[in-house]
Amino acid sequence: MILETTTVGSFPKPEYLTKSRFQFSKQQISREELLRLEQQATKEWVEFQEEIGIDILVDGEMYRGDMVTYFAENFKGFEISGLVRSYGNRYYRKPVAVAEIERLNPVTVEWYQFTQALTKKPVKGMLTGPYTIMDWSFDEFYPSRRDFCLRLAEVIREEARDLEAAGAQFIQIDEPAVSVRPEELDLAIEAMGIVTNGLKAKTLTHICYGNFEKIYPKMLEIPVDQIDLELSNAEYDLLDLFKRHPFTREIGLGVVDVHSHRLESKEEVKKRIRKAASLIPLKQIYVSPDCGLKTRSVEEAKAKLRVMMEATLEVREEFGSEGA
Amino acid sequence: MAMKTTLVGGFPKIGDRIEEQKLRKSFHQFDKDELSEEALEQVKDEVTEEVIQLEEANGIDLLTDGLIRWEDPLRYFVSRVSGFELSGLIRYFDTNTFYRQPVCESRLETIKPIFVRDFEFARGKSSKPVRVILPGPFTIAKLSVNHFYKEQKQFVFDLAHLIHKEALQLEEAGCEFIQFDEPALLSHKEDIRLFFDVYRIVTAQLSKSEKTIFFNFGNIQDIYPKILDLPVERLGFDLTQGHPNWEVLAKAKMTKKLMAGIIDSRNTKMEREADLLSLVGGLGSIADPDETWLTHNYSLEFLPRENAIQKIKLLTQVASQQKGAGVS
Ligand SMILES: [Zn+2]
Repeated sequence: MILETTTVGSFPKPEYLTKSRFQFSKQQISREELLRLEQQATKEWVEFQEEIGIDILVDGEMYRGDMVTYFAENFKGFEISGLVRSYGNRYYRKPVAVAEIERLNPVTVEWYQFTQALTKKPVKGMLTGPYTIMDWSFDEFYPSRRDFCLRLAEVIREEARDLEAAGAQFIQIDEPAVSVRPEELDLAIEAMGIVTNGLKAKTLTHICYGNFEKIYPKMLEIPVDQIDLELSNAEYDLLDLFKRHPFTREIGLGVVDVHSHRLESKEEVKKRIRKAASLIPLKQIYVSPDCGLKTRSVEEAKAKLRVMMEATLEVREEFGSEGA
Repeated sequence: MAMKTTLVGGFPKIGDRIEEQKLRKSFHQFDKDELSEEALEQVKDEVTEEVIQLEEANGIDLLTDGLIRWEDPLRYFVSRVSGFELSGLIRYFDTNTFYRQPVCESRLETIKPIFVRDFEFARGKSSKPVRVILPGPFTIAKLSVNHFYKEQKQFVFDLAHLIHKEALQLEEAGCEFIQFDEPALLSHKEDIRLFFDVYRIVTAQLSKSEKTIFFNFGNIQDIYPKILDLPVERLGFDLTQGHPNWEVLAKAKMTKKLMAGIIDSRNTKMEREADLLSLVGGLGSIADPDETWLTHNYSLEFLPRENAIQKIKLLTQVASQQKGAGVS
């Protein structure tokens, strides 16, 4: 098959779950009740992904709040800070490293197993990368960003190995922060090497908020099999870069903008895929949304995924035997 | 004989305690049409007053209003300028915070003063001098999209005229200290000549106030000592421990007054007082200690409020220690 489809990781939480998470935070419902609803929401998202024909599934992260804080809460050595503002009236709590970071138990493996048991299609193991956890945390313990990052790499590596042992064929290690400081790209590459070294599962990373011009083609040295990029948001300028320096890895091609309410037309998405296909060999292209869909409403997210699937199926037809 | 203390600008708008969260709650209510715009503005005033009192109570010498009304480093200004539209969210430098990207669609104009009212409000709440922070025209231009002006230069110059007008109005209102925030120069050093042209426009006829340009998000290598010729009285830099600016400043005598960001406001880790005192000692060989201001290196909004307060306390403690020691 050509142009396999997947998603970046997070889906919006249905209203009943958002409500119960709030109730749980106020100790109005039990941990078991919340878990039951998280599992229900996960099942619904798995069913939806199967229904529209997505090839590589995710659990949708119904049980996670923030992609960095989730891991910090489950690792030893982190505390959680007071509120800081990200934009407008949105606030979040940052992890604070206060002691040596350690993983006492597997963090994501149970959710992977739960989700994989619901489907015959492969489910991705989803991790946040060491560089991003380091960059989005305060650090009161390590002498340098490098020390902090490399320690996290060791810890994430344990989690990746456990996912692989549990049967994950795809392990995604997200590094959205990597595009922000080009001068630290070497550190991010080194840290990813520690995580992925020796893994037999297919490894992927997702990068967004791009200043991609500044990290390309060096970015291709990140030791993973596939790099998933936010492309539609950048109006596909990036593809021109690929003319000068060929994209040598598999690409997760972001074809719908997750930051906009506007629903892309099928033609728009088809054009984006065709343009990428003119620059990157078909067998290297995977189709996905730009980023996690959790900031959209459930309906918006589903509509965007449907358009993505319809467009991909039609382009597959066009290329027909060529890619088979 | 003592170094004065100040904030570089912003202060966390809310804290973790319920009584510190009213601004966040009011925005929620406003979004749901449960609160009028006037009532929301009233809450912003109240929080601003609380922040000013907090600065004063903790011994800060030169206050800011904490930029409580600012949504992001550009929007408060550009949304009041006709000619700008606001576009998507963009990451602000290498932080995990965002700004709405301004897009210039027609000739830029302001109808009435934007910052005078805020200055007068803040001054009325304290007996100490209030510094006003203005977004620098060079940085606004660099972080915006220009769809209107044929030449980028004209876009920057029109912004410079608008900021100049604000500064002039602030002087007339009695503002003694004006700061222009120009982080973008440090990532666009090749435009240093344009930067000088911009500041000739911004500072023309300004004679009553002391003007500061504050630079962060980078280092001043290659533009120092050249920037000592800028037509302002004071320059502010990141001078936290180990920052490359220390080495650069050692190369030429600082002929302007210095605002030194010695405390890191992007990490919760508390500096050791002894380390800060030795940094302050080092400042003595760079600039005139009697005219030096001590501060932190970035907006305090990067920290939770509780940590920001701890850092302010540390700052004023170091300043008073230094005074006691009578550093030569
Ligand atoms: Zn993303």
